[in-house]
Amino acid sequence: MEIVVSISDMKVTSRAKDVIVTHALGSCLGLAAYDPVAGVAGLIHCLLPLARDSKAPQKNPAMYVNTGVPQMMRAMFGRGATRENLILKAAGCGRMMHISNQFDTGANNFAALQKLLQVNEMHLSAEDVGGTIPRTMRLFADTGRLVISSCGRSWEL
Amino acid sequence: MSRREDIIEKASAIAHMPMPVQKVLAYIGNPDADLRQLAKIIAYDPGLTVNVLRMANSSFFGGANKVSTVKEALTRLGLNRVYQLVIASGVAPFARYEIKGYGLRPGELLEHSVAVAAASETLARELEITAPPHTFTAGLLVNIGKTVMGSFLEVDAAPILTLAHERHIPFEQAEELVLGINHAELGAILLERWGIPTPIVNVVRYRLRPDDCPEPDIALDLVHVGDVIAKMTGIGMGIDGMQYVPSEAVFARLDLTPQQMENVMAAIMEQIAEVRDILMDNTL
Repeated sequence: MEIVVSISDMKVTSRAKDVIVTHALGSCLGLAAYDPVAGVAGLIHCLLPLARDSKAPQKNPAMYVNTGVPQMMRAMFGRGATRENLILKAAGCGRMMHISNQFDTGANNFAALQKLLQVNEMHLSAEDVGGTIPRTMRLFADTGRLVISSCGRSWEL
Repeated sequence: MSRREDIIEKASAIAHMPMPVQKVLAYIGNPDADLRQLAKIIAYDPGLTVNVLRMANSSFFGGANKVSTVKEALTRLGLNRVYQLVIASGVAPFARYEIKGYGLRPGELLEHSVAVAAASETLARELEITAPPHTFTAGLLVNIGKTVMGSFLEVDAAPILTLAHERHIPFEQAEELVLGINHAELGAILLERWGIPTPIVNVVRYRLRPDDCPEPDIALDLVHVGDVIAKMTGIGMGIDGMQYVPSEAVFARLDLTPQQMENVMAAIMEQIAEVRDILMDNTL
């Protein structure tokens, strides 16, 4: 079954036949996580880097990198995934041409992810970020295969 | 005939405003136009009436007290706002099509256009400035040229995008090189021919290059940044993606902070669903 992740949304599955997909990543961050041992897959589409008060309860934690990514990982750990086995791949974080750095939300989203992973001693095994292209991510829950599509082309990450 | 002239001629021949909207626009152009008469004209058309009432009752445009007649809606929202909503209802159907050449599925461009319009108005609130009344409608209409090119004229945007990537130029510049005209200008030319008021046409014409506008225009500034914000969120984005250049002058003029921009991005996610559904459901 195809499970669609909308903007500021997150989905986790343990069903091997599922494909999790998110469309139209602009400056948003898409993070795919897969545990091959537990057979758990997760995909999140974060709009913004940081919830101003990450301790306060969020209306929608998946909107922000610093609240959404930990939430997705907890959901995956709850299904038997482990930190050691988790394979992480990031895409999106695009930018408008020549936009000044302070308004480069894509770069800020990616920086927020990197900081979060660094603190938790985790790392990305692949990334396809930046540029002006829109991206779609497709995560196949049976193998963890991640396919990026943009402008009529597709490639594996 | 040049490719540019050919495109303008074909576009003018194909695309028309729906008749009820034309009637309302013609009436408002009349110097003796009055609110009661306008309410009657709108009330004769069920599609238009439903749209105006739903918008007047939406949380985005309206307030706590519900209205049930067009006359009440006019009193609540004012002539100007209703006028804008009528134009929006008339042009929205153009944004519902699949825009094949630009990689947009049915409804996606409407979603993007609503995001631009909502972001432009929300930005004004965030900056604590008053958005000119035509800001929302202008935001909604900025992509009409894309509909006409990609859907009616079956322009394939893929080679245009390749050229933009190869030369590192904005997408609209590549459109000009390939077609002799960009989608913003084509949209403005069409709206002008339909008798849409000049302030709206100007925003549509200059929204990708606000620095070229002869006079500073706050609605244009708001829609320019609203468009940038909508593109960054990715809502209803086509293959052209973010291959556009934001104007530093506009960002400076609005004195916008990154936090304010993020607030607008977060806010529009809730607003767009409501407005999109109203415009999507009712065909004129």
